[in-house]
Amino acid sequence: MTGTVGADEAVRRRYDVVVVGGGWAGSLLAKDLGERGWQVLVLEAGNGGAETWPGYLDSLSTFYSAVAKVPNSGYRRSVAAPFPDVLDLAPVRDPEPGEREYTANGYFVQNGRLPYGTDYLRELGGAAMHWLGAVPRMHPEDFATNERFGYGRDWPITAADLQPWYARAEFEIGVAGDAQGQRELGVVTDPDYVFPMHQIPASWIDRYCTGLDGTPILDEVADEQYPLKVHSLPQARNSTPNPDYRPGPYRPSSAVGLPNYGERCVGNASCVPICPVQAKSHPLRQQARFPRTVTTATRCVVTRVRLAGPTMGGRVSGVEFRAYTDPASPVGRSYVVEAGVVVLAAHAIENARLLLFSGLANGSDQVGRNLMDHPTVLNWALADERRGPVGPFRGPGHTSGWEVFRFGEGRRRRAPFRIEIGNWGWGWATGAPMSNVATALGVGGDRQGEIRPDGVFGPELRRLLGSTIGRQLQLQIAVEQSANPGNRVTLDRRHRDATGNLRPVLTYDLDPHTRSGVYAARLVAARIFQRLDATDWTNHAPRDGVPPLGHFTHTVDGTTLDLAYSGAGHGAGTHVMGSSPRDSVVDAFQRTWEHPNLYAVGCGSMPSIGTSNPTLTMLALALRSAEQIHQDLVLDRRPADVRPADEAEVPA
Amino acid sequence: MSDPTSPAVTADVQDFVELCVPLTGFSEFDLYATGMAERYLETVRQQVGPDRFAEFWAAWTAAVADGGGPQSLSPVHLEVARAVTYLWHTGAWPRLAPAAHAALRRQPANEEFVVAPEAYVEGLVWRTFHGHPGGAKPPGFGTWSVQPPPQSDILSLRQDLGLGELPFRAGLTAEVALDAVPGHLLPGLRAARYVPPSAVPTAAERPDTSRERA
Repeated sequence: MTGTVGADEAVRRRYDVVVVGGGWAGSLLAKDLGERGWQVLVLEAGNGGAETWPGYLDSLSTFYSAVAKVPNSGYRRSVAAPFPDVLDLAPVRDPEPGEREYTANGYFVQNGRLPYGTDYLRELGGAAMHWLGAVPRMHPEDFATNERFGYGRDWPITAADLQPWYARAEFEIGVAGDAQGQRELGVVTDPDYVFPMHQIPASWIDRYCTGLDGTPILDEVADEQYPLKVHSLPQARNSTPNPDYRPGPYRPSSAVGLPNYGERCVGNASCVPICPVQAKSHPLRQQARFPRTVTTATRCVVTRVRLAGPTMGGRVSGVEFRAYTDPASPVGRSYVVEAGVVVLAAHAIENARLLLFSGLANGSDQVGRNLMDHPTVLNWALADERRGPVGPFRGPGHTSGWEVFRFGEGRRRRAPFRIEIGNWGWGWATGAPMSNVATALGVGGDRQGEIRPDGVFGPELRRLLGSTIGRQLQLQIAVEQSANPGNRVTLDRRHRDATGNLRPVLTYDLDPHTRSGVYAARLVAARIFQRLDATDWTNHAPRDGVPPLGHFTHTVDGTTLDLAYSGAGHGAGTHVMGSSPRDSVVDAFQRTWEHPNLYAVGCGSMPSIGTSNPTLTMLALALRSAEQIHQDLVLDRRPADVRPADEAEVPA
Repeated sequence: MSDPTSPAVTADVQDFVELCVPLTGFSEFDLYATGMAERYLETVRQQVGPDRFAEFWAAWTAAVADGGGPQSLSPVHLEVARAVTYLWHTGAWPRLAPAAHAALRRQPANEEFVVAPEAYVEGLVWRTFHGHPGGAKPPGFGTWSVQPPPQSDILSLRQDLGLGELPFRAGLTAEVALDAVPGHLLPGLRAARYVPPSAVPTAAERPDTSRERA
């Protein structure tokens, strides 16, 4: 079912399940429960529109027109349901020693030592509308870093528990990958498994880097030599179906609103913020397949989860929400909707905000704590001129990586990291290729604002750009950040959005273990560039008194480096899963310990995020929760509340 | 009856396109093929002001005619020439050097903007490295695996464009050596994501890697 309803229509019924948030986790979970016959309501705070083809093209056009082509650049800002943007952060010129080096001027209030540089999107489909589509599984080590390496928090479940759910999630969203390569890494364990689609072809840059296979690279922080090997990245992106996939045959999903379109990636090279053909998987595809049992309402901002009466054993009765008509105007009406089960699937930070404001599930004092991300250190270099161009700005954002730094005993000394071999040149670090044009021409003036004397034009410009853009290499290195209760979301009645909802107040920092990971990653990248005979132009030092966002210095064995990280968009940890209500918010099924019919799903449940992009793990967990919610409902409704067979299918 | 082989645009646009060849390094055919020529001429006139644009255009016409090229322009005219070239290459009007913005007594805010969604798509910069604009003109499944073609050399570029010996640089004594590109012609780290491409600082000189214990 494609199509949404308004609030008046949505509240007419009582639902079995109300899902807060129409993003990845909420959409998969709602579809699963709806297919089992349960009546489900999905409340999305943001606007819809992209579920129609003209609406989607409007987002594409918005992206074309944006000067800063950041992840949210295809989507309009909203006053009624505001969201953070990477454009909200600004560096502070000439900061005093010890003073914060940034200001935050958007939806987030930030008071941490370092900036939380991650955005999300409140829009039908959520931040998945701008995600890259990287879906590596987590490694068995990642679930037990405390037990094995003495840092972070351990999961109440193991990688083995998740394997079948990973496989199901990979089917649901459509994953292309090389299963054998993932088995070598130890993240896929089934010896017969293949992904639904063959791997996305490696880029020419990947092949260029494969030349280093077998080369040992010293990581001096871990005090270990790591032999390089390029591994293909599993991606939720349409590729060639694998005939060996069981149960087959697998048919790639087409674009929502335009049948038979987008069934292969065609190399638009703009996965973030938007895939023009929708070959990149996104939740609107799940929503298009919603059965009639699922109702979706947009522009409904959930404000509070309601507790049932005091005799109800902590059960919740439903949610309050405000519906608006115009995203530019904070005017709306209040509603209450009741449901047997409430599922929060609104993003790690939004889930925490709702729990905190509702005063629920926080007996452990862990709600909002353990906020995580993958601090990402950018490294950029020009490839050897003699070997010619490498072909940047082609294909998906990254198609391969160096994985060897993710695992093993090195994790005791420093956080592990995953090296993404970037396909989009220096775009993230420097704003290339547009900034190459500007600096080669000399436009914009010098640091005093005077007109620059130097610059090239015409054929010389064309030749210089061809060479200096054509040889761009960038390694984006995502470093694991472990759970730290001091990194947290809180609320403060002084900070509200335009509709009166409390804005998230973030306190964020990187601990020494994570900082050592960033440090090690930077030096490893420098060594790799050396081995490629590339000229390393990476520089994270302040320029003219302006520190780059995420700047810090870190010292290992007496050597100090200027470092900086970017946010990866991987918000996690804020309603952490555990084995005891004393120190965690949800159980292994993402059910809040204190409220048996209130679930908080999403990356917020994750006690650690390893070095894997977290979406796939989030979706495996969501499907596992859907199964549990189904069991809860069956128990709850038997035998008093059996519905007639003509009204709904009997739950399977 | 008009000449059926001449482009269906005004003489102003024809003149604009002809003299944008030595600025951009792309042929008249390529410039017309963007479909943006008229829109760009309007944009430049609007941004610089019709009178100042006329002065600039006269100066540039003379600089091409007498073989001086960009280095014979006044500093303010040099900045306008850069902005016009940036527009063709990226589809966006850049942030000018504040000194030039002041000297031109411009009314509009000195901010970068994309002229139109289709202007982004028609940026020439992508073609300098055999690429395509991100999010448009996709080359097809798996094409990113193919080795990109080599760079065209400067001599054939000059010959193809019929540009002879005109020096295409300002403030530089010789052609840039591609195996030792100086930092002042490369972009550096964007300190924040809102910094528009035309305001990104140049790279510091080739970074010192001596702190690294090799």
